[in-house]
Amino acid sequence: MTGARFDHYDWAGGREATLRFGPDTGPIVVAALPLFEEANRTRAFLVEILRALADRGIGSILPDLPGTGESLIDTRDLRLADLRQAFATLAGTLDAPVYGLTIRSGALVDRDARLAGRWRLAPQTGGDLLRELNRIRAASTMPDEEDYAGNSLSEALLADLRDAAPHAASRTVGLESDPRPANARYPGAPLWRRSEPGGDATLAEALAADMAGWIATCAG
Amino acid sequence: MLVIFEGTSQVETTVRAVLADILGLDAGRVAAFTADTPLFGALPELDSMAVASVLTELEDRLAILIEDDEIDGEMLATFGALVQFAARKALV
Repeated sequence: MTGARFDHYDWAGGREATLRFGPDTGPIVVAALPLFEEANRTRAFLVEILRALADRGIGSILPDLPGTGESLIDTRDLRLADLRQAFATLAGTLDAPVYGLTIRSGALVDRDARLAGRWRLAPQTGGDLLRELNRIRAASTMPDEEDYAGNSLSEALLADLRDAAPHAASRTVGLESDPRPANARYPGAPLWRRSEPGGDATLAEALAADMAGWIATCAG
Repeated sequence: MLVIFEGTSQVETTVRAVLADILGLDAGRVAAFTADTPLFGALPELDSMAVASVLTELEDRLAILIEDDEIDGEMLATFGALVQFAARKALV
C-alpha cells in the first residue's frame, strides 16, 4: 500500500501533522527535510523516495517539524532544540526499529532521537547552511535584516546553527558530482539548489533501493 | 590577454554541468555555450537567487571558496568570464 495518509504527533511544544506512507508494520523510516528554502525544493522529491520505499514494503513518516509545513509555530520563535526534540519525540513513540532519513541540513535534526540507524543524502553542517543563508540574503533584491529567502529567523536560531553538526551517520550517500566523502554516489542534479526543481523519479528509485538494502543489512 | 590555465577544460566542463543542473537548462543548449555567450541579464533562469546557488554549487564541486566581495556582474557577464573566474580559483 503506497497511498499517503494524514496523521499527527504530539510533542512538548504542541501538535504537528505527519504524512505516512506504506505499511504500519516492520521497520519504519522517519524523514526530515532540509531546513528553510531547501525544504520547499525537496519536498516533492522526498515524497517520491518515501513512495518508492513503500513499494519495497517499508513504511515511513514525514512529520511537519515545528515552524514548518502546517505548523502554527512562527519560524521567528524557532530554536534548533525544538526541531530536535519534536523529531526525537515522534521517533520515540514508534514501537518498531526506527531509521532516520534526512536530506541536507535535515541531518542536523535527528541528533537526539534513538534510532536504529541514520541514512543521509548530501548532509550539510550548520556552518555551511549559515553561509548559504547569508549569500541568499545578500543576493536578495530587497535585503532585509531578518529575512532569509522569505524565512524570518531569530539571532538565537542562527547562533544555534553556527556550530551545529550532524550526529555520526550510519550511511551517507551523495551525488556523483559531489566530491565529499560518501558510502555511495548516484547520478542526478542537486534539486535542493534549483528554483523549480520538480522531482527525479530515477534518482528517487535508486536512493530508495539503497536505503532499503541498507535497512535489510542493519536488521541482520 | 586571457591567461589559459592548465586544467581549464575540466573547470569548463564543471561550469557547464553546474549551469545545466542548477538552472535546469537543456544539456544541448549548455553544450553550445561559447566564451562569448552572455549569462547574467541574458538568461532569465539566472536570477539573483540562482546566482547564489550556482556559485555555491561551484564551490562544492571545485572545492573552492568564493568571497562575497568577489561576486560582481563582470564575472557573470559571459560563460567565458565565469569559466575564467572559476579556473583562477581552482587552479592557483
